[in-house]
Amino acid sequence: MFKKDLEQLVSLQDLDLMIEEAVEVEKLGFSVTGYNELKTAREELAHVITKPLLFRYERLRAKLKRAIVPVKNDVCLGCFLRQPTSLGAKGREDDQIFTCENCGRMLYWLD
Amino acid sequence: MQRTELVNHFQEKLFIPEMHATTKEGALGELLDLFVREKLIRNRDLVWEMLHQRETLGSTGIGKGVAIPHGRTTAASNVFIAFGKSSKGIDFDAIDKKPVHLFFMVIAPPHDEGNIYLPILGTLVTVLNDKNNRDRLLEVSSFADFVPIITGE
Repeated sequence: MFKKDLEQLVSLQDLDLMIEEAVEVEKLGFSVTGYNELKTAREELAHVITKPLLFRYERLRAKLKRAIVPVKNDVCLGCFLRQPTSLGAKGREDDQIFTCENCGRMLYWLD
Repeated sequence: MQRTELVNHFQEKLFIPEMHATTKEGALGELLDLFVREKLIRNRDLVWEMLHQRETLGSTGIGKGVAIPHGRTTAASNVFIAFGKSSKGIDFDAIDKKPVHLFFMVIAPPHDEGNIYLPILGTLVTVLNDKNNRDRLLEVSSFADFVPIITGE
C-alpha cells in the first residue's frame, strides 16, 4: 500500500464533501452548473482506487460521514482523541494507512 | 455569523495588497502559496486539485469583480481565509464575465468546530454584495485598512 492510495482517498473525500454541500453552496449564490461533471470526476477517481480500500472508505463514510480525518498535534480531528506519539512517527513515514483506535477513521497527518 | 467573528479567520500573513497574477491559474496559485508558506496545509497538490474541481462545479467568480475560491480539504486543520487584490483585474471566468479584482480564498477542514464554514461563505457574500464595501476594499493597501471594512466599522 502506498501513500498514493491515501492521497487518492483524500481527493475522493474532498470531492464527496463538495458534492454533498453543492446545494447549500448554491443557495449562498455560487454557481454549481458543473454538478454532473463533478460526479463524473468522482466516479473516475473511485474507479482507480483499489476495491478493498474503496469499500473500506465507503463503509466508513456511510457510518461516520467523514472517513479520513486530519491529525494535528497528535489529535484525531474526527473524535479529538490523542493518538500515541509512536503512531504519529509511523503515520508520517510509513506506507501503511492507520486508523484512530477510538473512532475508526483513517488518519492523515498534517504535521 | 457576525462580521466581527468573520474577521478572526483572516490574518496578515494571508493578505496580498497587490497580486502579481494575471491569469485565473496564477491567481489560484498565488493565494494557495500563502497557505503553503505558512504551513497551514500539508500537501499543495491535493488542495490545488480540490480548488480545480471546485471550479469544475462552477466558477467561484461570483460577479461584480469578486471571486471566492473555496472548499473543504482533508489537508487542512482549520478554516482560513486569504485575501488578494488585483487593481488591474484578472479574467477568472466569472459569472458576469467581468474581470475579478477582489479574491477571498477559503480553505476548510472536513469537519470544522461549530460548522462555521458555510456561515463564513454566506457572510462573505453578504459583505461583498455591498458596493460600498467592494469600493473600499479596492482601495486597501494594508491589513490594518482591511480589517474595519470586514467588521463593518
